[in-house]
Amino acid sequence: MMSCLRRISAVAGNTFLEAVRQKVFAVLLVFALVLVGGANYFTEFSFQEQFKFLKDLGYAAISLTGLLVGLLGAAQLIPGEIERRTILTALCRPLRRWEFVVGKYLGLATYLTLMVAIMALAVWGVLGWKEAQFLRAEGLEPAAAAAIRAEAMDPRLLQAVLLVGVKLAVVAALAVFFSTIATSTTFVMAMTLLVYLIGHLQSVAREQWLETGEAARWTVKIFLAAVALLVPDFNLYNLIDEIVAGNVVLWRTTLEVVGYSAVYVGVLLAAAACMFEGRDI
Amino acid sequence: MWAGGVTLLLLLLWGGAKIRWEKEMAREQRKAAYGFSGPTAVAIREKVGQGLALAALGGFRGLAANALMLQAHGAWEEQQWVRVRSALELATMLQPRVAVFWDTASWHLAWNAAVAAERYSGQISETKRKMEARRWVEAGRDLLERGTKAVPEKALLFQRLGDLYWQRLGDYQEAARCYREALTKGDAPPYLERFVGYALEKAGDKRGALDYFKSLRGEMGNPPNPERRPEVVEREIARLEKEVVGGKKAKTK
Repeated sequence: MMSCLRRISAVAGNTFLEAVRQKVFAVLLVFALVLVGGANYFTEFSFQEQFKFLKDLGYAAISLTGLLVGLLGAAQLIPGEIERRTILTALCRPLRRWEFVVGKYLGLATYLTLMVAIMALAVWGVLGWKEAQFLRAEGLEPAAAAAIRAEAMDPRLLQAVLLVGVKLAVVAALAVFFSTIATSTTFVMAMTLLVYLIGHLQSVAREQWLETGEAARWTVKIFLAAVALLVPDFNLYNLIDEIVAGNVVLWRTTLEVVGYSAVYVGVLLAAAACMFEGRDI
Repeated sequence: MWAGGVTLLLLLLWGGAKIRWEKEMAREQRKAAYGFSGPTAVAIREKVGQGLALAALGGFRGLAANALMLQAHGAWEEQQWVRVRSALELATMLQPRVAVFWDTASWHLAWNAAVAAERYSGQISETKRKMEARRWVEAGRDLLERGTKAVPEKALLFQRLGDLYWQRLGDYQEAARCYREALTKGDAPPYLERFVGYALEKAGDKRGALDYFKSLRGEMGNPPNPERRPEVVEREIARLEKEVVGGKKAKTK
């Protein structure tokens, strides 16, 4: 057991270091940080709207950058190793194929976690900066100051960051799954992106299939069932919108989505390991 | 070949198990957000353009709504009220749970657009100008009415609806009703409780206003919370008592 964990952590550590050395990821991170910092210059609206704009832009920057990093990183994980033939050296050691897949995923997930944490800190910093600006402008009238502080340093933002993080973890697991089937990085990226987009429509397909009771051709029904069964429901993560709107989202609900994501990642990694076992290299 | 079969079987088994879980979570989330658990995506699909729908459903709905608010702001600066209205309608449709969007949208329509129609439209007929202004005010009211249904747990939109009835429609009884409703929400500002009394007085119901202020003072207890400004309430009670009693005396004479 311990040796298995050691092997997985060795692969994960290596993948993490490779990701850190990738210049494109650093550029993406800088781009996202500039975007988040630039959001501070929306000055035409009320303070509630400005905070909402900042939070929306912050989470969009985290999501978009994370999505690109997850796609680019995972797309290269296995096809890249096969192309460079480094996979042969890795697998001729006492390393099982599933350990290789899990290690690769964990390395990428660690890198994604680090990026999300850095960007979340940047968003938090910008919110604090905006708060200080407003407090200077509005004076220290207690009710106004309290309202500004409540908007800026809302503890529910932690829930939003957690939700962004687990959504990206599922996307990365999807990309890892496709990378065990594919021979080219383009295929992995295209498939993951498609599933990501379809995932936001999955609830519509599910409702159409299970709840509307409308008469439809059997081909349509099979298509809807396939989407509902095989694609994750990314609309579940729209709780982030509720949090940004300042509405109450229970921790229980958030943790349920986190649990769903964790199980989904586990299933996708099991499927990826299974596909990789049967693959000729 | 075997790996593909096993993987497909695994994914289908998980799909069968997850679908119930997803349905339950989606139902709970909708119930918490909208107060009902029926399908919601249809209205958005019907009204929003293709590109925007992709953004709306692609997890970047907040950004799209913000872009529409910016667009409405630009159109406001150019005094293009129809564009202002359509952008605001879309923004509130994309993010119906953002109270501040409904607030801003109704302010643009019921105040800015209505005043522009009444004073700066270039229309010679005063009646037509007033009718046009009234239409904008009613559009703002309709937005707020929808907003109170979308975000029923917050006081803000009920308060704004009360302000609109008071300042734009002159319906003080309705304003008092909205303020009362806002006060049941728990996040109403402390000064709003006095507005019910002021609105009743404006509506000509001085006796009702006096009774309201008296019951409000009674509710405050002893010692009252200074944030609720008991001295203002007592002053209003004294003034209204004088007016009501004075009015009665004048009538008997």
